[in-house]
Amino acid sequence: MFVLAFLARRLVQGLVIVFLVSLLIFTLLRVVPGDPVRLMAGGMAPEALIEQIATSMGLRDPILVQFGRYMGNVVQGDLGQSFVRPANGAATGGSSFNDATRGERAKVADLIFETLPMTLQLAAVTLVIALVFSTIIGVAGGLAPGRWPDKVAFYVSSIFISLPNFWLGIVLALLFSVHLGWLPAIGYNGFAYTILPAIVLAVELSPVLIRTLVSSVSSQMGQSYVSVGKVRGLGHARIVANHALRNASVPLLNLLGVQFSSLLGGVIIVEFIFDYPGLGLLTINAVLQRDFPLIQGIAIVTSAIFVVINIVVDLVATTIDPRLEY
Amino acid sequence: MTAAVISPTLPVLDVRGLTVGVRQQAGFRPILHDISFTLMPREIVGIVGASGAGKTVLSKAVVNWLEAPLAIDGGEVRFEGADILGLAAGDMRRLRRRVAYVGANPMGALDPTLPVGRQIVEKLMAVVPGSSRRESERRAIELLEAVRIPSAKSRFHDYPSQFSGGMMQRALIVDALITNPALLVADNVTQPLDVTVGAQVIRLMKELARDFDTAVLFVSSSLPVAREAASRILVMGEGRIVEEQATEALIANPRHAYTVNLVEQTPKIWSGGAATQPQATQSLETGSDREVVISLRDVSQIYRVKKRDSFAGVNEVRAVRDVTFDIRRGDSFGIVGESGCGKSTLMRLLSRLELPESGELLCHGGDIGKLRGKGLLDFRKRLQLVLQDPFGSLPPRTAVGRMLEEPLRAHGWRDRKVIRERVLKVMGDVGLAPELYEELPLGLSAGQRQRINVARALVLDPEILIMDETLSALDQTEQFKLLDLFQKLQREYDLTYIFISHDLAMVRKVCNRVAVMYLGAVVELAENERLFFDPGHPYTKALLSAMPVLETRRYQPEDCLLDGEPPSPIDLPTGCCFKTRCPLAFDKCDTISPSLMARGNRNFAACHLVTSQAAPPNSQSGGQPGPRETEYQSA
Repeated sequence: MFVLAFLARRLVQGLVIVFLVSLLIFTLLRVVPGDPVRLMAGGMAPEALIEQIATSMGLRDPILVQFGRYMGNVVQGDLGQSFVRPANGAATGGSSFNDATRGERAKVADLIFETLPMTLQLAAVTLVIALVFSTIIGVAGGLAPGRWPDKVAFYVSSIFISLPNFWLGIVLALLFSVHLGWLPAIGYNGFAYTILPAIVLAVELSPVLIRTLVSSVSSQMGQSYVSVGKVRGLGHARIVANHALRNASVPLLNLLGVQFSSLLGGVIIVEFIFDYPGLGLLTINAVLQRDFPLIQGIAIVTSAIFVVINIVVDLVATTIDPRLEY
Repeated sequence: MTAAVISPTLPVLDVRGLTVGVRQQAGFRPILHDISFTLMPREIVGIVGASGAGKTVLSKAVVNWLEAPLAIDGGEVRFEGADILGLAAGDMRRLRRRVAYVGANPMGALDPTLPVGRQIVEKLMAVVPGSSRRESERRAIELLEAVRIPSAKSRFHDYPSQFSGGMMQRALIVDALITNPALLVADNVTQPLDVTVGAQVIRLMKELARDFDTAVLFVSSSLPVAREAASRILVMGEGRIVEEQATEALIANPRHAYTVNLVEQTPKIWSGGAATQPQATQSLETGSDREVVISLRDVSQIYRVKKRDSFAGVNEVRAVRDVTFDIRRGDSFGIVGESGCGKSTLMRLLSRLELPESGELLCHGGDIGKLRGKGLLDFRKRLQLVLQDPFGSLPPRTAVGRMLEEPLRAHGWRDRKVIRERVLKVMGDVGLAPELYEELPLGLSAGQRQRINVARALVLDPEILIMDETLSALDQTEQFKLLDLFQKLQREYDLTYIFISHDLAMVRKVCNRVAVMYLGAVVELAENERLFFDPGHPYTKALLSAMPVLETRRYQPEDCLLDGEPPSPIDLPTGCCFKTRCPLAFDKCDTISPSLMARGNRNFAACHLVTSQAAPPNSQSGGQPGPRETEYQSA
């Protein structure tokens, strides 16, 4: 019953969030300078033609009317069509524009759901690497505050947080792909292509996880249930594994929910560097081409993912610590 | 297993020449000096001493649980004949089956994220290898039932946060005794509990220790509490055992000066006679024609908390219910009750930090809920608050003088010289040295800090001071000094006090009129003498019977003490809210909630068993009888 009420409430809240994000992005995209029709039709197209196309696409209606029409379609699962991309593949410029090709424009939903699994795969591998690494370093540091494992954790996270991801990406690609030839770096042609970008993202994600773990583990070890556990006759290993880590994992989980958004930000740069065909690369191209429907679609999908992940995180956190109320 | 045949004359615990201290770079600073005592099987021995005497360090040393920087400098702790201080960690862990410990902080003792029962089972299985899970669970539930945890089977699966302090402490006693230990060290187990619950816990612990043949080392900072539990008492002062006698002999005939002092400082309720009579009671008891300064009319407060398992539902917590009373000029009005009875909510309503859900609070006849702007500021000046926590309530980086100037500035004082004079005057009144004016409060003791708090309230020259558990953080000696100060200030400034407290002994000493609260309602409202010598409500009797005292009780726990704990203020029982714990409940209590009935001129109790000795006060509005004292006087 609690779970159902929780899910119902949170999903309603989530819908409101997604709606607001859509409205915000939609409005901003239409007030920023740069006419997408000009981009589509090409610099040489006559003004009258541009007006004609724009009117026929509904781009001269008031923003709210456009938004209403757009959301009406979204509710039915239609994210619209790309302004720029034809259905058959490569992005096209505006000079080849004519009305006949309109029907072949790629559907935004298709574009997103082709690339999304790639990015989710990248995010999952990143998360696994970052969690394993941070848990080892962070728990060891938290169990020995002030001693060398704590210092290692501190230095590792300080170094990692100061490494710019674009630089690290290039260096790793040089080292592992060019010099050593162990891992592929550019494009995607199998799982091995995910590893290098995932390492770069994991390095970016780890410092916060390590710091959180060190502080939450060491504060849990100072709780009285830990010292009382000893006099109750529980062994040290049991206290740490069954109780301290369990309690320390809650702040980590909450952090992961929030860090997910910065992971998506990191994905954009890293996918660009490694030419990894995921959502990040799609986003960059969409922005460069002022492909409004695509940007809009990506925003809706990512905010929905963000909402869902945070619901899952909170649900898991309440199962671990029943005192939490969301 | 190794519960070998031990001759009954061999002590369970034999501490010899134990010296423990703090080991730092600067050297060794001893806390316990050369402690020696023995504990026979099935014996309950009390260790009593003021805070800082080293009791907790001793109880930790006895169970070999000292952590750095505490270190043992010499001596032995022999458990069943073998020294346990030198044991390896693994061997000691196996010995935890025979040596158990319960501490003073029940709420922090278990992992908050796992069910209580599961953790008890985990302990049993860790300490007694090879026990089966099912058998362990059965035994845990059986013992939880034995300590009267209601519906133990389902409580077994509840989390620590769902247990009240008293239930948690009982669960921890189960946790300690489940392995059938030969020795239980109980370190201040009743300290965080309300008196009625604390008395139950001691009773259960004694029962269980007897059933399990467990010897108990009962450590307490209160001599009366230790008296309830122990047959023999060791008195500790400054790290040494200064005296050891059988309990009753010790109380009747203390030999060491420290013990004499301890016995003398224990507050007396009934036997003190005129010497402990509050001056207020003496002079004011008959003066019921004094002006009414604060008047509550059917005041209720409801908090709404979100229900966990529903979509939009809320639970209504009825924190204060239909409270009606008057406070007159010069009164020392006591509001007593156990945790969760609504005292603190009432304090917030009285000080207008919150507005009541219904009813009115009148100050000099005006509804304080309607005050705005200037009027409200005037009311704030009239009524000031002194808080409970002497450490959290003072800003740590503000000079003492500055803190005391602040209220004056807020109330429009501008002339620096006048402000300074006023502050210095008040500092002198409460006994703070003028040199403290420029000092930060960092190094000050709790008592000094409470004086600052009193000064901060007093600096505006208020009429009414609300003391919200103001003395509960102080030790006995400091309490006495501050109480004297309060009485002096009351005479000098013509103050009216409202004491909010759970400490009946303090209330007996200072208050002339007392309201007893239970589950948000005032169940008894009476003059000091009447309340303590002839209480009208069974709950008041229960409170009095549970109070740890050294004198002969007027009310015996066997007759009056309550089982169980107050029901939740979310679903109040129908009829009388006290019926679930009342030894005298009868069928009328099931359906009809008693209102305050008059017992003589100025005393009221909400119980069906009170037969009105005078005509009940006629009610003016809305048919709900209540103590309309003003009318009653004129009638």
